[in-house]
Amino acid sequence: MIFHVVKKELQETLRDGRFKISAAIVFVLLVVSLILTFNQYQYNNAQYIEAQKNERSLWEEQGEKNPHSAAHYGSYVFKPKSPLSLIDQGVEKYTGISIFLEAHNRNEAQFSNASDQTALSRFGELTPSFILLYILPLILILIGYDAYTKELEKGTFAILKSQGISNTKLLFGKWLSVLIPIVTITTLLFLFGGLILSNTSDIGVFNWEALGVLYIVYLIYYLILTNIVLFISLVTKKSGVALVSSLVFWVLACFITPKIASNIADSKYPYPTNQEFSKRVAEDRKKGLDGHNPWSEEAKKLEEEVLRKYNVDSVHKLPFNYSAYRMQKGEEYQAKVYAKHYSWLDEQAQKQENVYKSTSMISPFLPTRFLSMVISRTDYQSHRDFSEKAETYRVKTQEFLNGLTEKNSRYGERYVASANAWKKLPKFEYTPPPFSQILNSNTPMMLILIVWFAVTGAVLFFINKNH
Amino acid sequence: MIITRDLTKKYGDFTALNKLNLKVNEGEIFCLLGANGAGKSTTINLLLNFIAPSSGKAFINGLNVTDNARETKAFLTYIPENLMLYPTLTAIENLDYFLGIGGKNFSKKELEFFLHEAGLQQEAFHKRVQFFSKGMRQKVGIALAIAKDANVLLLDEPTSGLDPKSSNEFGELLLKMKKNGVAILMATHDIFRAKEIGTHIGIMKQGQLKYNFSCNDKSLQEIENLYLETMSLKDNLL
Repeated sequence: MIFHVVKKELQETLRDGRFKISAAIVFVLLVVSLILTFNQYQYNNAQYIEAQKNERSLWEEQGEKNPHSAAHYGSYVFKPKSPLSLIDQGVEKYTGISIFLEAHNRNEAQFSNASDQTALSRFGELTPSFILLYILPLILILIGYDAYTKELEKGTFAILKSQGISNTKLLFGKWLSVLIPIVTITTLLFLFGGLILSNTSDIGVFNWEALGVLYIVYLIYYLILTNIVLFISLVTKKSGVALVSSLVFWVLACFITPKIASNIADSKYPYPTNQEFSKRVAEDRKKGLDGHNPWSEEAKKLEEEVLRKYNVDSVHKLPFNYSAYRMQKGEEYQAKVYAKHYSWLDEQAQKQENVYKSTSMISPFLPTRFLSMVISRTDYQSHRDFSEKAETYRVKTQEFLNGLTEKNSRYGERYVASANAWKKLPKFEYTPPPFSQILNSNTPMMLILIVWFAVTGAVLFFINKNH
Repeated sequence: MIITRDLTKKYGDFTALNKLNLKVNEGEIFCLLGANGAGKSTTINLLLNFIAPSSGKAFINGLNVTDNARETKAFLTYIPENLMLYPTLTAIENLDYFLGIGGKNFSKKELEFFLHEAGLQQEAFHKRVQFFSKGMRQKVGIALAIAKDANVLLLDEPTSGLDPKSSNEFGELLLKMKKNGVAILMATHDIFRAKEIGTHIGIMKQGQLKYNFSCNDKSLQEIENLYLETMSLKDNLL
């Protein structure tokens, strides 16, 4: 029975000129978006590999130099592209791809793709996630909005019901027939994407498991939308009303709710401006030790402590270079100041995210959007993880450089490190958190999505039973 | 066999059908006449279990339609006044679909045979039904009854709007089914067709079966007089 309903519904859908045209357009768009994103990905990845190599050789080939000059010379670290950014680019375009590491300062990531582009890029890009999140739901609406209303309008409902088919079987058949075209397109896209990623070298840490979970997230999203579209078709009597209602839901779920969510999050937990943030950091830095200023109160206090500890009356008599020691202590204090302010920023971001997550209960788009970025590792948290690991590396680099001067010279001497010294600094290797950790920390979002499916499914089943 | 016992349907204070007692045996065509709103379609909807009775019972082949809604549908075919099919599907595909959802599967040859038996021209078998006339669509309905081997046929004004030739062809199909032992209940306004093909005629008025007689017992003129009597303005206003 269900097979016959599915077969007939699909026959009708496939013979519908509107569906043929729109499905063909969507399929072409998907392929084009995948190719465009892949080309961009390959270009960025090649640039990343080359820049990383060049940057390291620039660092290693500095020649003989004072380590603190090398610390100010600095170096760049580059954020590797996540393989699944092929599907969802998330916030990557806006967060910047490189961080300049130098003495005393923690810098934000810079050189985002968006900053290099024209104002036109603000209109959005054709990416697979855009099509998966916004366009495929439209096709789903186009297929399913009149699933029940057409039976009433064409007068086929009476003869259909006189054949003795149960409401549940009819619903299940219609449900499957709405889903099958969407799932087919999605499956093809993910398979195609997976094949590209698994057959391309220098692609980073790609695993089918993450792609599979991302695929499941989108499938649940479509299951929820199918429930909602069929529910609307079931409770309305006219196809026109069903179509408009479904489109209104689409606009509310995909455009209005995310805007409302981000506005609420922003107004409740505002982010400081760059200037404001820098001012706060500068104020705190002033309160503590500055490695370059030996006359400050904090520097005097440190000097006294060290002299007392080593039981000497002059820094000249210390078994290490006190200037480098002070520089390192200054670095440590500044790192603490940055850690304090950045952790406050993280808290704000976390609070904003929590607001965003709580609004996920009013639109299935939100948890899907969120999970899609998280699994693709293109969300803000992934960026922060990279930023934090870069900062840890910066602190260790300063420790290494100050240590060179501290151990190899005495106070008042100008130390010049050998040309080989720079190679001893370990390379920056960014390892993103394991996928299982990402999945575990986002279980609530997954549950929200499942609750959406369960609730919409239960409502649809109940309404259908009493229809 | 169709049986109703004191079958009643009320909508608030309004009684759409009042204690209808009816019996249609195998090989009989019972024609229900009556003005619009007399209760003909309500009777059919109750037999199809599309609506629940307020009181009384209806049986198809001995099974109570309320308790055995799905089982009774396996024995019957329903052809409404304007049988609508899925326009983008062919006649064969429509037939295959309706039979399939009723749990019956047939080969393409068998489906073609049923359509042929129902009198549909062969060249129409594989054509989309969007351009079919009402008569052609009714034939697909009859093919459905043949294929289901239905022993109960419920028809709701099936000949209204048909041209005389199609109406005549449809009448002949019903006679053929009657010969095959099908119990047919037909709601109609067509007194001439009822007299011609019916075995029994019932005339309804304001939800009640006013007259129930064998077609052989009354002339066409007498039937017409009784029908017009039930349609009198005075009575209808009461």
